[in-house]
Amino acid sequence: MSDNDTDDVRTDGSGTGIVSPDDETPAWSERKERTQGLSRLTYEYFERARREDQDLRQESDYIERDVLAFPAWPHEMMRNIALTSFFVGMILFVSATLPPEMPNPANSSVTPAIILPDWYLYWSFGLLKLGPLNPDLSILGGSKLMADRTYGVLANVVVVGFVAIVPFLNKGSARRPVEQPFWAAVGMSGVIFSLTIAALSIKNLVPMDSHLLFDLTFLVPIVSATITYAVLKTMREGYMFDLNRRYYRLRPPK
Amino acid sequence: MADEFMKGFACLMVGGLGWMTIKGWYNTPSFEGAQLTGELTIEEPTTFDQIALFMGDAFFWFAVLGALTFWVVLPLISEFQAYLNERSA
Repeated sequence: MSDNDTDDVRTDGSGTGIVSPDDETPAWSERKERTQGLSRLTYEYFERARREDQDLRQESDYIERDVLAFPAWPHEMMRNIALTSFFVGMILFVSATLPPEMPNPANSSVTPAIILPDWYLYWSFGLLKLGPLNPDLSILGGSKLMADRTYGVLANVVVVGFVAIVPFLNKGSARRPVEQPFWAAVGMSGVIFSLTIAALSIKNLVPMDSHLLFDLTFLVPIVSATITYAVLKTMREGYMFDLNRRYYRLRPPK
Repeated sequence: MADEFMKGFACLMVGGLGWMTIKGWYNTPSFEGAQLTGELTIEEPTTFDQIALFMGDAFFWFAVLGALTFWVVLPLISEFQAYLNERSA
């Protein structure tokens, strides 16, 4: 159906260099027939971009290459400059209007009342407090196989090891959580577990019974994984998975 | 719909940023105490302080009412108009 789809299509720079990814993508003539609204605007934008690209190709003395894309300048750079300016402006504004207070320097000769790592390490600190899970072995006369502190360090090894092998477990092509609800649920339970284990590490400061908090640390991730799976499974209906597959399966130039 | 969302979001962000700044100046007594909601840190507000305090309230209500307007009120009105058009057609 597409007029680009004939055998004499050229991708060596002599033609437009545009190959339809598949049979459902509208051909140039079909785009041109759209006369109103957003589809017209889209056509005009693409047509102008294509024309500028063509002019540049004809003017330049560079060797033509097979590139199915828009040039980074100005299409991508203008957006990046806008985003960068926004965030730099935000940093300047906040640091100018709300400068953080400089507290007194730490006194190295006094032990603070509460010893905690930085907040982003709370999850690791919480894994050191899994003593109640350390099994007593009756053959050892009720004594534990390893000390609670050794057990906590091993728990860190297990969790970090699991995070490290996740990319090798599943490197699927999904770009949205709805496409693979199970793995999205696994990831969600991991995120929630990192929060609950962080809350466990500061259990003295959490206004809750510490045994209940310990149980919730492991129950809430499972519950959230179940909810995530159910919600994503419900959202699957009517979702256009083909869009991604089509995008990543562009026909290579001949 | 996306435009309406962005307008409401812009109101929320601009108002929230202004509110946070002014509350950080006037209602944050100490770094380790109440943040943004603490007691007023000045005894006798000058004219500029009064303007700033007024602007803090204005930013707050701009954030709340702006988001409500673009996310709730205007979509409701357009839905209602579509409903009326559908009935009369």
